[in-house]
Amino acid sequence: MKVQCRLCPKECLIKPGQSGECRVRINIDGVLRTVVYSYPCSIHVDPVEKKPFFHFLPGTKTLSLATVGCNLHCKNCQNWEISQANPEDSEAFFCPPEKLVELAKTNQCTSLAYTYTDPVIYYEYTLDSSKLARATGIRNILVTAGYINKEPWKELLQYIDAARIDLKSISDDFYREVCSATLKPVLDCLVLTKASGVHLEVINLVIPTLNDKPQQIRALAQWVKVNLGSDTPLHFSQFYPQYKMQYLPPTSAETLDTARQIAMSEGMQYVYIGNITSETGQNTYCPGCKTLLIERSGFTVLKNQLKNGNCPTCGQKIYGVWK
Amino acid sequence: MTRREFVQFVLKTASAIAVGAYFITDKVSPRRFIRAVRQKKYPGSVKQLSNINTQGKWRG
Repeated sequence: MKVQCRLCPKECLIKPGQSGECRVRINIDGVLRTVVYSYPCSIHVDPVEKKPFFHFLPGTKTLSLATVGCNLHCKNCQNWEISQANPEDSEAFFCPPEKLVELAKTNQCTSLAYTYTDPVIYYEYTLDSSKLARATGIRNILVTAGYINKEPWKELLQYIDAARIDLKSISDDFYREVCSATLKPVLDCLVLTKASGVHLEVINLVIPTLNDKPQQIRALAQWVKVNLGSDTPLHFSQFYPQYKMQYLPPTSAETLDTARQIAMSEGMQYVYIGNITSETGQNTYCPGCKTLLIERSGFTVLKNQLKNGNCPTCGQKIYGVWK
Repeated sequence: MTRREFVQFVLKTASAIAVGAYFITDKVSPRRFIRAVRQKKYPGSVKQLSNINTQGKWRG
Protein backbone atom coordinates (compact mmCIF):
# COMPACT_ATOMS: atom_id res chain seq x y z
CA MET A 1 0.00 0.00 0.00
CA LYS A 2 1.24 3.48 -0.80
CA VAL A 3 1.59 5.99 2.01
CA GLN A 4 1.55 9.73 1.75
CA CYS A 5 3.95 11.77 3.82
CA ARG A 6 2.28 14.99 4.94
CA LEU A 7 5.33 16.52 6.58
CA CYS A 8 6.35 18.96 3.89
CA PRO A 9 4.50 20.57 0.98
CA LYS A 10 5.86 17.96 -1.42
CA GLU A 11 3.49 15.44 0.17
CA CYS A 12 5.31 12.51 -1.43
CA LEU A 13 3.18 9.54 -2.33
CA ILE A 14 5.54 6.71 -1.47
CA LYS A 15 5.36 3.19 -2.85
CA PRO A 16 6.35 0.21 -0.66
CA GLY A 17 10.11 -0.03 -0.30
CA GLN A 18 10.68 3.48 -1.59
CA SER A 19 11.51 6.76 0.09
CA GLY A 20 10.21 10.27 -0.28
CA GLU A 21 12.23 13.00 -1.95
CA CYS A 22 14.08 13.57 1.31
CA ARG A 23 15.52 10.01 1.10
CA VAL A 24 14.99 9.30 4.80
CA ARG A 25 11.23 8.76 5.14
CA ILE A 26 10.46 5.33 3.79
CA ASN A 27 7.39 3.20 3.20
CA ILE A 28 8.09 -0.14 4.84
CA ASP A 29 5.19 -2.57 4.57
CA GLY A 30 2.67 0.24 4.25
CA VAL A 31 4.00 2.17 7.26
CA LEU A 32 5.83 5.48 6.97
CA ARG A 33 9.14 5.11 8.79
CA THR A 34 12.02 7.45 9.56
CA VAL A 35 15.36 5.71 9.19
CA VAL A 36 17.51 8.50 10.65
CA TYR A 37 15.93 8.79 14.11
CA SER A 38 18.86 8.76 16.58
CA TYR A 39 21.37 8.51 13.75
CA PRO A 40 23.02 11.89 13.06
CA CYS A 41 25.81 11.90 10.51
CA SER A 42 27.44 14.94 12.05
CA ILE A 43 27.70 16.31 15.62
CA HIS A 44 29.89 19.26 16.53
CA VAL A 45 30.20 21.98 19.12
CA ASP A 46 29.85 25.26 17.22
CA PRO A 47 29.58 28.90 18.22
CA VAL A 48 25.98 30.02 17.86
CA GLU A 49 27.24 32.80 15.55
CA LYS A 50 28.13 30.13 12.97
CA LYS A 51 24.45 29.27 12.35
CA PRO A 52 24.32 32.36 12.07
CA PHE A 53 22.43 33.69 15.08
CA PHE A 54 23.48 37.21 16.05
CA HIS A 55 20.62 38.04 18.43
CA PHE A 56 20.41 34.79 20.35
CA LEU A 57 22.67 34.14 23.34
CA PRO A 58 25.77 35.66 21.70
CA GLY A 59 29.07 34.03 22.49
CA THR A 60 27.55 30.71 23.55
CA LYS A 61 28.24 27.22 22.27
CA THR A 62 25.63 25.03 20.64
CA LEU A 63 25.70 21.30 20.08
CA SER A 64 25.01 21.06 16.36
CA LEU A 65 23.75 17.99 14.59
CA ALA A 66 22.33 16.74 11.33
CA THR A 67 21.23 13.56 9.69
CA VAL A 68 21.65 12.91 5.99
CA GLY A 69 18.91 13.94 3.55
CA CYS A 70 16.96 17.04 2.60
CA ASN A 71 13.56 17.78 1.12
CA LEU A 72 15.08 20.46 -1.12
CA HIS A 73 17.68 19.88 -3.81
CA CYS A 74 19.33 23.27 -4.18
CA LYS A 75 21.81 23.36 -7.02
CA ASN A 76 24.02 25.61 -4.90
CA CYS A 77 23.88 23.51 -1.72
CA GLN A 78 27.00 24.01 0.36
CA ASN A 79 26.45 20.80 2.31
CA TRP A 80 25.36 18.62 -0.59
CA GLU A 81 27.62 15.74 0.43
CA ILE A 82 25.31 15.05 3.35
CA SER A 83 22.08 16.72 2.26
CA GLN A 84 21.91 14.76 -0.98
CA ALA A 85 23.23 11.48 0.43
CA ASN A 86 21.29 8.26 0.83
CA PRO A 87 21.21 6.81 4.35
CA GLU A 88 22.39 3.44 3.04
CA ASP A 89 25.52 5.03 1.57
CA SER A 90 26.37 7.04 4.68
CA GLU A 91 27.96 6.70 8.09
CA ALA A 92 26.16 7.80 11.24
CA PHE A 93 26.49 7.79 15.01
CA PHE A 94 23.98 6.23 17.35
CA CYS A 95 22.86 9.17 19.44
CA PRO A 96 19.33 9.06 20.89
CA PRO A 97 17.78 12.24 22.35
CA GLU A 98 18.97 11.43 25.89
CA LYS A 99 22.54 11.19 24.65
CA LEU A 100 22.27 14.53 22.80
CA VAL A 101 21.17 16.30 25.96
CA GLU A 102 23.94 14.66 27.92
CA LEU A 103 26.52 15.71 25.30
CA ALA A 104 25.23 19.28 25.34
CA LYS A 105 25.64 19.44 29.10
CA THR A 106 29.09 17.86 29.24
CA ASN A 107 30.31 20.25 26.53
CA GLN A 108 28.84 23.36 28.19
CA CYS A 109 26.44 24.00 25.33
CA THR A 110 23.43 26.14 26.15
CA SER A 111 21.50 24.89 23.16
CA LEU A 112 20.97 22.11 20.66
CA ALA A 113 21.13 23.23 17.03
CA TYR A 114 19.34 21.14 14.42
CA THR A 115 21.25 22.27 11.38
CA TYR A 116 23.61 21.48 8.45
CA THR A 117 20.96 19.65 6.37
CA ASP A 118 17.34 20.39 7.30
CA PRO A 119 15.72 19.40 10.60
CA VAL A 120 12.37 19.18 8.82
CA ILE A 121 13.28 15.79 7.38
CA TYR A 122 14.38 14.33 10.71
CA TYR A 123 11.28 15.80 12.27
CA GLU A 124 10.50 13.12 14.84
CA TYR A 125 14.09 13.07 16.12
CA THR A 126 14.09 16.86 16.36
CA LEU A 127 10.73 16.93 18.12
CA ASP A 128 11.60 14.34 20.76
CA SER A 129 15.05 15.80 21.35
CA SER A 130 13.58 19.29 21.69
CA LYS A 131 11.04 18.16 24.25
CA LEU A 132 13.70 16.48 26.32
CA ALA A 133 16.16 19.35 26.00
CA ARG A 134 13.60 21.91 27.08
CA ALA A 135 12.68 19.83 30.10
CA THR A 136 16.32 19.91 31.17
CA GLY A 137 16.94 23.62 30.51
CA ILE A 138 18.74 23.30 27.18
CA ARG A 139 17.46 25.63 24.43
CA ASN A 140 16.55 24.43 20.95
CA ILE A 141 17.45 26.19 17.72
CA LEU A 142 16.51 25.30 14.17
CA VAL A 143 18.43 26.13 11.03
CA THR A 144 16.04 25.39 8.21
CA ALA A 145 14.73 26.28 4.78
CA GLY A 146 11.25 26.39 6.28
CA TYR A 147 9.72 24.03 3.74
CA ILE A 148 7.23 22.30 5.97
CA ASN A 149 3.47 22.02 6.34
CA LYS A 150 1.76 24.15 8.95
CA GLU A 151 0.43 21.40 11.19
CA PRO A 152 3.78 19.72 12.00
CA TRP A 153 5.52 23.10 12.13
CA LYS A 154 3.10 24.42 14.77
CA GLU A 155 3.67 21.32 16.86
CA LEU A 156 7.45 21.64 16.66
CA LEU A 157 7.49 25.39 17.37
CA GLN A 158 6.12 24.77 20.86
CA TYR A 159 9.54 23.43 21.87
CA ILE A 160 11.76 25.73 19.82
CA ASP A 161 13.50 28.83 21.17
CA ALA A 162 14.96 30.22 17.96
CA ALA A 163 14.75 29.61 14.23
CA ARG A 164 17.04 30.76 11.49
CA ILE A 165 15.12 30.37 8.26
CA ASP A 166 16.42 30.73 4.71
CA LEU A 167 14.53 33.04 2.42
CA LYS A 168 16.43 32.01 -0.67
CA SER A 169 14.69 34.46 -2.95
CA ILE A 170 11.44 36.34 -3.16
CA SER A 171 10.81 34.69 -6.52
CA ASP A 172 8.78 31.51 -6.93
CA ASP A 173 10.63 30.82 -10.18
CA PHE A 174 13.91 30.81 -8.28
CA TYR A 175 12.56 28.26 -5.79
CA ARG A 176 11.29 26.05 -8.59
CA GLU A 177 14.38 26.23 -10.77
CA VAL A 178 17.16 26.25 -8.18
CA CYS A 179 15.68 24.44 -5.18
CA SER A 180 12.93 22.21 -6.62
CA ALA A 181 10.51 23.80 -4.20
CA THR A 182 8.02 26.66 -4.08
CA LEU A 183 8.02 30.03 -2.37
CA LYS A 184 4.64 30.29 -0.64
CA PRO A 185 5.11 27.57 2.01
CA VAL A 186 8.37 29.25 3.05
CA LEU A 187 6.68 32.63 3.41
CA ASP A 188 3.89 31.01 5.44
CA CYS A 189 6.45 29.32 7.65
CA LEU A 190 8.26 32.61 8.28
CA VAL A 191 5.06 34.42 9.22
CA LEU A 192 3.92 31.58 11.46
CA THR A 193 7.28 31.47 13.22
CA LYS A 194 7.34 35.18 13.97
CA ALA A 195 3.71 35.17 15.08
CA SER A 196 4.38 32.28 17.46
CA GLY A 197 6.91 34.36 19.39
CA VAL A 198 9.88 32.13 18.57
CA HIS A 199 13.04 34.18 18.03
CA LEU A 200 13.57 34.48 14.27
CA GLU A 201 16.50 35.43 12.07
CA VAL A 202 16.34 35.35 8.27
CA ILE A 203 19.16 34.60 5.87
CA ASN A 204 19.47 35.14 2.14
CA LEU A 205 22.31 33.60 0.16
CA VAL A 206 23.13 36.12 -2.55
CA ILE A 207 23.98 34.30 -5.78
CA PRO A 208 25.48 36.25 -8.69
CA THR A 209 23.05 36.67 -11.61
CA LEU A 210 20.27 34.69 -9.92
CA ASN A 211 19.03 36.78 -6.98
CA ASP A 212 21.51 39.63 -6.60
CA LYS A 213 19.76 42.40 -8.51
CA PRO A 214 19.02 45.49 -6.41
CA GLN A 215 15.29 45.26 -7.14
CA GLN A 216 15.25 41.63 -5.99
CA ILE A 217 17.06 42.52 -2.76
CA ARG A 218 14.72 45.47 -2.22
CA ALA A 219 11.63 43.34 -2.74
CA LEU A 220 12.93 40.76 -0.28
CA ALA A 221 13.72 43.38 2.37
CA GLN A 222 10.31 44.99 1.89
CA TRP A 223 8.57 41.67 2.33
CA VAL A 224 10.52 40.92 5.51
CA LYS A 225 9.79 44.36 6.92
CA VAL A 226 6.06 44.25 6.20
CA ASN A 227 5.45 40.64 7.22
CA LEU A 228 8.02 39.94 9.92
CA GLY A 229 8.88 43.40 11.19
CA SER A 230 11.82 45.73 10.78
CA ASP A 231 13.44 44.33 13.93
CA THR A 232 13.96 40.87 12.38
CA PRO A 233 17.70 40.30 11.88
CA LEU A 234 18.44 39.82 8.19
CA HIS A 235 21.66 38.18 7.00
CA PHE A 236 23.03 38.39 3.48
CA SER A 237 25.47 35.59 2.92
CA GLN A 238 28.19 35.09 0.34
CA PHE A 239 27.66 32.38 -2.26
CA TYR A 240 30.61 30.17 -3.02
CA PRO A 241 30.64 27.90 -6.11
CA GLN A 242 29.42 24.49 -5.00
CA TYR A 243 27.68 21.34 -6.20
CA LYS A 244 25.85 22.05 -9.47
CA MET A 245 26.67 25.75 -9.54
CA GLN A 246 30.39 25.74 -9.93
CA TYR A 247 30.13 27.86 -13.06
CA LEU A 248 29.18 30.98 -11.10
CA PRO A 249 31.69 33.24 -9.32
CA PRO A 250 31.59 33.93 -5.57
CA THR A 251 29.46 36.89 -4.52
CA SER A 252 31.58 40.02 -4.35
CA ALA A 253 31.97 42.04 -1.17
CA GLU A 254 30.51 45.04 -3.01
CA THR A 255 27.32 43.17 -3.88
CA LEU A 256 26.87 42.13 -0.25
CA ASP A 257 27.53 45.66 0.98
CA THR A 258 25.00 46.98 -1.53
CA ALA A 259 22.43 44.42 -0.39
CA ARG A 260 22.95 45.51 3.20
CA GLN A 261 22.60 49.18 2.31
CA ILE A 262 19.41 48.51 0.35
CA ALA A 263 17.82 46.57 3.20
CA MET A 264 18.76 49.27 5.70
CA SER A 265 17.41 51.97 3.42
CA GLU A 266 14.13 50.04 3.41
CA GLY A 267 14.02 50.36 7.17
CA MET A 268 15.46 47.02 8.32
CA GLN A 269 17.17 47.63 11.64
CA TYR A 270 19.64 44.76 11.88
CA VAL A 271 21.24 43.74 8.61
CA TYR A 272 24.39 41.62 8.45
CA ILE A 273 26.67 40.14 5.86
CA GLY A 274 28.27 36.75 6.29
CA ASN A 275 30.64 34.12 4.88
CA ILE A 276 33.04 37.01 4.26
CA THR A 277 35.03 39.38 6.43
CA SER A 278 33.51 42.80 6.90
CA GLU A 279 34.50 45.72 9.06
CA THR A 280 30.98 46.72 10.08
CA GLY A 281 28.67 44.19 8.44
CA GLN A 282 28.90 41.72 11.31
CA ASN A 283 28.41 44.18 14.16
CA THR A 284 25.17 45.06 15.89
CA TYR A 285 24.38 48.74 16.19
CA CYS A 286 21.56 50.43 18.09
CA PRO A 287 18.92 51.40 15.52
CA GLY A 288 18.15 54.48 17.62
CA CYS A 289 21.47 56.12 18.48
CA LYS A 290 23.83 53.97 16.33
CA THR A 291 25.97 52.93 19.30
CA LEU A 292 28.08 49.85 18.63
CA LEU A 293 26.45 47.17 20.76
CA ILE A 294 28.07 43.89 19.74
CA GLU A 295 31.36 43.73 17.90
CA ARG A 296 32.14 40.50 16.07
CA SER A 297 34.96 39.08 14.04
CA GLY A 298 34.00 35.94 12.17
CA PHE A 299 32.17 33.76 14.68
CA THR A 300 33.79 35.45 17.68
CA VAL A 301 32.12 38.07 19.85
CA LEU A 302 34.78 40.66 20.66
CA LYS A 303 32.62 43.00 22.69
CA ASN A 304 29.05 42.92 23.98
CA GLN A 305 27.84 46.17 25.53
CA LEU A 306 24.14 45.33 25.86
CA LYS A 307 22.62 45.94 29.28
CA ASN A 308 19.82 43.43 29.85
CA GLY A 309 19.03 43.48 26.16
CA ASN A 310 18.96 47.28 25.98
CA CYS A 311 21.25 49.87 24.43
CA PRO A 312 23.52 51.26 27.20
CA THR A 313 23.39 54.74 25.64
CA CYS A 314 19.75 55.41 24.80
CA GLY A 315 18.07 52.47 26.52
CA GLN A 316 16.36 51.15 23.40
CA LYS A 317 15.25 47.53 23.67
CA ILE A 318 17.10 45.36 21.16
CA TYR A 319 15.21 42.42 19.59
CA GLY A 320 16.66 39.11 20.67
CA VAL A 321 17.19 36.52 23.40
CA TRP A 322 20.07 37.70 25.52
CA LYS A 323 20.02 35.44 28.58
CA MET B 1 -19.64 18.20 -35.55
CA THR B 2 -19.61 14.85 -37.30
CA ARG B 3 -20.57 11.65 -35.52
CA ARG B 4 -16.89 10.56 -35.52
CA GLU B 5 -15.81 13.83 -33.92
CA PHE B 6 -18.57 13.55 -31.33
CA VAL B 7 -17.49 10.02 -30.36
CA GLN B 8 -13.87 11.17 -30.11
CA PHE B 9 -14.90 14.07 -27.91
CA VAL B 10 -16.87 11.80 -25.57
CA LEU B 11 -14.00 9.30 -25.32
CA LYS B 12 -11.40 12.00 -24.61
CA THR B 13 -13.57 13.63 -21.96
CA ALA B 14 -14.33 10.32 -20.29
CA SER B 15 -10.66 9.29 -20.22
CA ALA B 16 -9.62 12.68 -18.85
CA ILE B 17 -12.16 12.35 -16.05
CA ALA B 18 -11.02 8.79 -15.32
CA VAL B 19 -7.33 9.78 -15.15
CA GLY B 20 -8.14 12.78 -12.93
CA ALA B 21 -10.27 10.64 -10.63
CA TYR B 22 -7.46 8.09 -10.37
CA PHE B 23 -4.92 10.68 -9.26
CA ILE B 24 -7.32 12.17 -6.74
CA THR B 25 -8.37 8.87 -5.21
CA ASP B 26 -4.79 7.60 -5.34
CA LYS B 27 -3.92 10.05 -2.52
CA VAL B 28 -4.16 7.38 0.09
CA SER B 29 -4.37 7.66 3.85
CA PRO B 30 -3.35 9.28 6.09
CA ARG B 31 -5.24 12.44 5.21
CA ARG B 32 -3.59 14.44 7.98
CA PHE B 33 -0.01 14.63 9.18
CA ILE B 34 1.06 11.74 11.35
CA ARG B 35 4.52 11.08 12.72
CA ALA B 36 6.71 8.56 10.97
CA VAL B 37 7.57 5.47 12.97
CA ARG B 38 11.13 5.13 14.12
CA GLN B 39 13.12 2.48 12.28
CA LYS B 40 15.58 1.03 14.78
CA LYS B 41 18.22 -0.22 12.38
CA TYR B 42 20.20 2.32 10.38
CA PRO B 43 20.53 1.31 6.72
CA GLY B 44 24.08 2.69 6.45
CA SER B 45 27.06 2.00 8.67
CA VAL B 46 27.16 3.10 12.31
CA LYS B 47 30.42 4.41 13.72
CA GLN B 48 31.72 5.43 17.13
CA LEU B 49 31.07 8.98 18.25
CA SER B 50 34.28 10.98 18.36
CA ASN B 51 35.86 14.40 18.04
CA ILE B 52 32.72 16.49 18.49
CA ASN B 53 34.58 19.38 20.09
CA THR B 54 35.90 20.69 16.80
CA GLN B 55 33.80 23.10 14.75
CA GLY B 56 31.71 21.39 12.09
CA LYS B 57 33.05 21.61 8.55
CA TRP B 58 29.51 22.02 7.23
CA ARG B 59 27.81 25.36 6.73
CA GLY B 60 25.21 26.37 9.26
